[in-house]
Amino acid sequence: MIAIEGLSKTFETSGGEPHLALDGISIDIPKGQFLSILGPSGCGKSTLLYIVGGFVPASAGRIRVDGRAIAGPGPDRGPVFQEFALFPWKTVRGNVLYGLLQQGVPRDQAERRVSELLQMVHLSRYADFYPKELSGGMKQRVAIARTLAYDPAILLMDEPFGALDAHTRTKLQNELLSIWERDRKTVLFVTHSVEEAVYLSDRVMVMTPSPGRQKAVFDIDLPRPRIRAELLLNRRYQEYLIAIERLVQDGGEDEA
Amino acid sequence: MIGRALKSLILHSASLILLLGAWEAVCRAGMVSPHLLPAPSAIFLRLLVQLADPAFLIHLGQTVLRIAVGLALATAIGVGVGLAASRNRLIGRLLEPLVRVLAPIPKIALYPALILMLGFDHASKIALIVADAVFPILLATYHGARMVEPKLIWSARAAGASERQCTFTIVLPAALPSIYTGLRIALLIACVVVFLAEMISSSDGLGHLLIRAARSFRTLDMFVPLLAVSLLGLALNGLATLAGRRLLRGFAL
Ligand SMILES: Nc1ncnc2c1ncn2[C@@H]1O[C@H](COP(=O)(O)OP(=O)(O)O)[C@@H](O)[C@H]1O
Ligand SMILES: [Mg+2]
Repeated sequence: MIAIEGLSKTFETSGGEPHLALDGISIDIPKGQFLSILGPSGCGKSTLLYIVGGFVPASAGRIRVDGRAIAGPGPDRGPVFQEFALFPWKTVRGNVLYGLLQQGVPRDQAERRVSELLQMVHLSRYADFYPKELSGGMKQRVAIARTLAYDPAILLMDEPFGALDAHTRTKLQNELLSIWERDRKTVLFVTHSVEEAVYLSDRVMVMTPSPGRQKAVFDIDLPRPRIRAELLLNRRYQEYLIAIERLVQDGGEDEA
Repeated sequence: MIGRALKSLILHSASLILLLGAWEAVCRAGMVSPHLLPAPSAIFLRLLVQLADPAFLIHLGQTVLRIAVGLALATAIGVGVGLAASRNRLIGRLLEPLVRVLAPIPKIALYPALILMLGFDHASKIALIVADAVFPILLATYHGARMVEPKLIWSARAAGASERQCTFTIVLPAALPSIYTGLRIALLIACVVVFLAEMISSSDGLGHLLIRAARSFRTLDMFVPLLAVSLLGLALNGLATLAGRRLLRGFAL
């Protein structure tokens, strides 16, 4: 379980004025829950994720994972970024292998695991390709496989499908759901698509524009496994969409 | 395919061919005395003859040896120090003023002192190459390492790599394109500097050959080492390109 308590973040800016990006975020995320964080651009969604990842220090408040305060990054929390952030000098195989070797998994065992992972994300044929030779959707699959490789209990996904075309996005959403339904990791999923948030999540946290505060938290009570075509006709699904869309809309102007 | 390659080769060498052609024409027309400026064809022929002479090859070899050792040391020092300075704030702070002060000094001015300390042989010349070539490599490494996308490092840290492991498994390879550019510059500098050093004080090397020819007014033989060092630079550059293609395969270039 992740316990976030009174989390705030102030950035020192080059302009000299300190900039309040996150203000008093408090939320508990039970183990195995899929939580989406929804909000306009610039409201601090990425910052929140980076702080939970231990990449960026908080200015105030605290975060505990299974009761322990986080101190820097750790293999219990695996990030997936919108920009993929693959290692360009490594092949697909090398990228996925990295975490396993860092974890001290013996080489042959690691290689086998990489093969399984690549099969899972449908990239077996591309093992020896370099990231620059892949499409956006394929790159994000590699990034997901690279993170799943060291089996983090928590996935931190920052608009992972934001840079992809609609068709690829839908496909990857479904793949993510089927992976998640298999091992039920805790997921913090940042998005600015209401539809994506409701489709994937157990819970949706809506944030205010800058500075980011919690505006509302919705429990998404929809059956799983979720099938998009069926959901579209589901009355409750539609109501979630409308309610959350309204809430997001009256948040004012996007900072972007 | 072949047509395209040929066209690119011709385009590539057009300016060079034009220059050599004009030079050759000026000489053929008798506009300058061959004792002042020999024709390029004469220099090429002379170089070909010299290449069959073991004595010349030894001189060439000495120069190549100095460049190779000098560059290797400059790379080791430049990459090592650049990485350390970029990853460790204290080291960076301590080194910055030092580099600012030392980098603009014309290193050739240190050469007399280097000779006194290290003698007339290889050591003083290699030291001079290192002193000159280390700065572009160091600066390229430092800035390349500072520019590494933080998310690459975060991805590695989350996978369990320590900061120190990240330095070698992420920052160094991610900075390779920049380091490579620094190396190419250092390569050219090394060619120039070794030649100068050999001209100033040496009993061997291409620079020494030029001075020896100048002392006895053999103009043609003065131009041969110049042509040789130019071709040497070309060859080393070609090697660097090949190495770069392999080393930087994954980068979008
Ligand atoms: N390193 C930084 N320095 C200064 N301000 C920053 C930095 N990173 C983010 N910010 C600011 O914090 C706010 C939230 O940014 P971010 O978390 O990226 O928003 P989101 O992901 O919701 O679009 C923005 O106003 C942004 O300008
Ligand atoms: Mg963001």
